[in-house]
Amino acid sequence: MTADFESNLISYLRENLGEDFLEAYKQRERRIFVKVEPSAVRRVVQLLKNRYPMLRFMTISAVDNGLDMEYLYHFHIDGIVLTVRSLKPKEDNTLESIAYLIPAANFIEREISDLFGVTLIEHPEPKHGLVLTKDWPDDKRPLKKPLEGILPPKARPVAEALISSSCVAPISSFIQRKREAAGLSKSAGFAFADEKSISEFHSMIKDTNLSEKVGFDWEKRRLRYK
Amino acid sequence: MIRYAFFLGCQIPMRLPNIEIAARKVFERVGLEAVDLLGYSCCPEPVISRLLDEMAALTISARNLTFAEDLGLDLMTLCNGCYETLIEANEVLKHNAEKRNRVNEILKRYGREYKGKVEVKHVVEVLYEDVGLDKIKNCVVKPQKLKIALHYGCHLYREYKSPDIMRKPNMMKEIAVQTGVEIVNYGLERLCCGYPSMQADEEFSLKKRLLIKLDRIKDAGADAVVTACPACMIQFEMGQIMLRSYGVKHSIPCINLMELLALSFGVPYKELHLELHRSPVLQLVKRMEVV
Repeated sequence: MTADFESNLISYLRENLGEDFLEAYKQRERRIFVKVEPSAVRRVVQLLKNRYPMLRFMTISAVDNGLDMEYLYHFHIDGIVLTVRSLKPKEDNTLESIAYLIPAANFIEREISDLFGVTLIEHPEPKHGLVLTKDWPDDKRPLKKPLEGILPPKARPVAEALISSSCVAPISSFIQRKREAAGLSKSAGFAFADEKSISEFHSMIKDTNLSEKVGFDWEKRRLRYK
Repeated sequence: MIRYAFFLGCQIPMRLPNIEIAARKVFERVGLEAVDLLGYSCCPEPVISRLLDEMAALTISARNLTFAEDLGLDLMTLCNGCYETLIEANEVLKHNAEKRNRVNEILKRYGREYKGKVEVKHVVEVLYEDVGLDKIKNCVVKPQKLKIALHYGCHLYREYKSPDIMRKPNMMKEIAVQTGVEIVNYGLERLCCGYPSMQADEEFSLKKRLLIKLDRIKDAGADAVVTACPACMIQFEMGQIMLRSYGVKHSIPCINLMELLALSFGVPYKELHLELHRSPVLQLVKRMEVV
């Protein structure tokens, strides 16, 4: 009976969210996790309210993962605990409030805003100083970590060069001149010297999730942290 | 004609083209055709990519190996690091069907497939096994009257073909002997030069690894250090410069095995662009010319 209920709940969200539904898993009986795009969190809350009159909002957990903020919305539905996870890049330092859908989220959202320095969007009471003093400095939030990924500083240029140029040792114009003077090709057949090869290399890197793991920004062609 | 797909890696073409220049001169003289790979990438660098994401590292290696497969040639590396990365990836992919399938799932999207049809060899193996010591000796027209200390490099001990980890280091030693040099034993041949630990702890790397080796090499009376690895060469050359900030001065020339061979084969030193060295190699070679 519980298993059916859990499966129905997951299917309901999957069907209604389409591509915004990322994954779901059951940690154990009566404990479900659903991962969605951050832009879909409000829609999830509305969907849950529409279908489950017994829905009870428990709380929101916020975790600073270094590069991203992870928000976990915990709900209780008829003996089952559902956690809706969403991951937001820290460069976008905002959180869309769900307090207009669930008034009980008002205080926990303000607490998250105080402790992590996140700006609340469309919150009914976007005031500072729920858990911190009103004169607390904006740039020193107790639970906020620096924007950092998993690579130690000395490994960052190497990873950045590998992903962006397919080569860990960028070539200088001095070495290029020396190569030419010695009758060697400028770039030694590297992928970066050919549009098709570098494009293939980049696509393969994306397929392996390496760039996501190290926090590589494909638009800027560099790591998201220095 | 002996033919190999030639994997140059990153450090040699981008930072130490003098090794590539010397290698090509040597290959020309011993009758070894090194076929360049077009569109290849870093092997990849093992410390970051392999530790972070094994499947990413295997996929990048497999892509590189498919270039050699396309040519129908075994692959030869000049760099110890590339050798270890590629031979390990080749071994894993040949023997682990699950990982091979996962890698091929990605490669197939780009019209590639890793088939496991090629072998990976270090240039030392190619020179010893395919070219042969006799041919190398016959090419020597200018024996090098030097006392040298050999630094094989940690990855050269990586062995899949034999239980003897000294197989390739011994090959390197025998190849070096053909050039007329006298090899001095300094007792710390197997100690790492410290290059990999530079990222974690520069002082440890320089003082507890490189300096210990340099002191022993100097005490053994060597004129120069000969390495088979570009990363070790960077460590020996840049490390000696960096050690000055710790109040230690060493000026031991460091050259690659390919450069030693090229010099002994009579290639004029000016053609080898030895000015790219950061240790007094040019001074040593000019002194030798006078002698």
